[in-house]
Amino acid sequence: MSAVDEAALLAPGIELLSREAVYLDEKRWDEWLALYAVDCEFWVPTWTAEGHLTTNPQTELSLIYYTARGALEDRIVRIRSGRSPAALPLPRTAHVVSNILPLEPPLRDRIRLRSTWACHTFFPLMDVHHTYFGRAEYDLARRDETWVIQRKKTILENDRIPLPIDIYCL
Amino acid sequence: MAIKPARFYVDDRPDEGVFRVHRDVYSDPEVFELEMKYIFERTWNFLTIESQIPKAHDYITTWIGRTPVVVSRDAKGNICAFLNTCRHKGATVCRFEKGNSKYHVCFYHGWAYDSGGKNVSIKQREAADYPAAFDAQSHDLIPLAKLATYKGLIFGSLSPDVPPLDEHLGDLKFFIDLHMDQGPQGMEIIPGRVAYTYRGNWKMQLENGQDPYHVDTAHGSFMAIAERRRKGQGNVAARELDWQKRNDVQIGSYEFPHGHSSVWHDVVEPERRAVHATFDEVKSRVGEQRAAWMIKQRNAVFFPNLQIADQIVPILRTFRPIEPGLTELRSNVLGPIGEPPHLRAARLRQFEDFVNPGGYATPDDVTVFADCQVGFQSAGVDFLQGYSRGIGAIERGPNEEARAVELHPLTSVKGHRTQNNELGTHAPFREWVRLMNAGMEGRKAYP
Repeated sequence: MSAVDEAALLAPGIELLSREAVYLDEKRWDEWLALYAVDCEFWVPTWTAEGHLTTNPQTELSLIYYTARGALEDRIVRIRSGRSPAALPLPRTAHVVSNILPLEPPLRDRIRLRSTWACHTFFPLMDVHHTYFGRAEYDLARRDETWVIQRKKTILENDRIPLPIDIYCL
Repeated sequence: MAIKPARFYVDDRPDEGVFRVHRDVYSDPEVFELEMKYIFERTWNFLTIESQIPKAHDYITTWIGRTPVVVSRDAKGNICAFLNTCRHKGATVCRFEKGNSKYHVCFYHGWAYDSGGKNVSIKQREAADYPAAFDAQSHDLIPLAKLATYKGLIFGSLSPDVPPLDEHLGDLKFFIDLHMDQGPQGMEIIPGRVAYTYRGNWKMQLENGQDPYHVDTAHGSFMAIAERRRKGQGNVAARELDWQKRNDVQIGSYEFPHGHSSVWHDVVEPERRAVHATFDEVKSRVGEQRAAWMIKQRNAVFFPNLQIADQIVPILRTFRPIEPGLTELRSNVLGPIGEPPHLRAARLRQFEDFVNPGGYATPDDVTVFADCQVGFQSAGVDFLQGYSRGIGAIERGPNEEARAVELHPLTSVKGHRTQNNELGTHAPFREWVRLMNAGMEGRKAYP
């Protein structure tokens, strides 16, 4: 595959990563949810006490581990309920996503990407700012003419958590 | 702000039905300083569990109040614990949270200690022209004054003047048993570290675990999610209890000596409890009554630094005070050793959904703690009113449920769920006053 062909195949995936960040920052929750496959995996592993990242969500603890978009919808129901003190007022965020590279050569219906992310988060309640940061891995799948996130693994590098975390600050 | 006698801060008049706590106990730096000195540094603290350090030279690092501690197995496999501070210039000698090492070598000047804390090398000692007075001193790491275990839980004290651990735990052993006897080969900590800080005083988490009253407001957003899950939508894999179904359950609490206490809730969906999957085996081993207690939701306080909680799955949660308004929490999730993979996975999903920083309860709790800490700065207001629910229903000594399992609490209370008693806070605050008074009056912590 030529570099030009590869870039063309990767382009919709790279754009999808940017759109996810924009939807979260602009609180466009329905559009954010629509980026995910119904049977998606959404995983935020913990680190072990030995300082290694956990590798198996079935035997080790995760910060978040979901295997359905419905579980992500729960998070949005909570935000919209207006009854969660952690989201009142809702923290304001700016995601910066960079260093996007393919994890393997792209196919017509499957792209695997890695990214580096930082999420600057302002908590109006406490008048304080914190930057969560880390890496992420995406498996994207083409369903008809639309690309969706089949699997996302978010690695939180600064995992001694000083303020609430939610899907919008990862 | 001038420190006052400890009894000033807790207005405890049982005969008049009064129990109030002064806001300064959560915010005054002088109070915090004395808590470290007279509570954390003069009584037993929970350190870790034995299965975290199974082999010779395994270690973990932890804290007693502000004091960094290493808990280790020496070359012979004996459990030992010592202060994580080099005798030479004071640097910590062990930087990692967990590992295996025959030696702990200080990065500053290279003084080395073995896994039992004994000094094995002072760099360039021969050429040092040390005086005889130096050679006469011990250069070993300072061992904890007391170290003891119960059911695999390791406890230590910086002060030698503490009662034997067995006596100190008393009836809390029952609640430890309910955790540690859930697996036929014992329990282990599931790998994966959950550590977070909140902007509030250490006692707020201690109280929160004894406080069923906050649940349907602070975690009110969870009601909408529970509604979805009832219809089979959302994260049904978490198998969280359906809160609507527990409207008519009984809730109770016990006050024990030495600052320990426990709340319990009856459960109407026992099949959702992690222990239920192996219930027949558990029953045959621990008996009907204890097995039934494993199904109840429980949250016991080991004063001052541990919650033995089983909201949906058993956890051990430790608090480390850092500042009056800053606390670190660590949750250790327990699972039976040798648990079948599908049950282990289900246990993880249950824990992660709720009392986890990435879950539904913890983010709400930590933000309301921050709200309280802001409110405590107010001038012109003194005592809080959050300790009185249930006082009218107190029974002296054990009630029927306690007698049935041979518990001997100082007081018992139970009632309908909406009684939401706040009495699980009394034992910790009474011990708080006792230990603070002893220290401030120059007396030993334990007569």
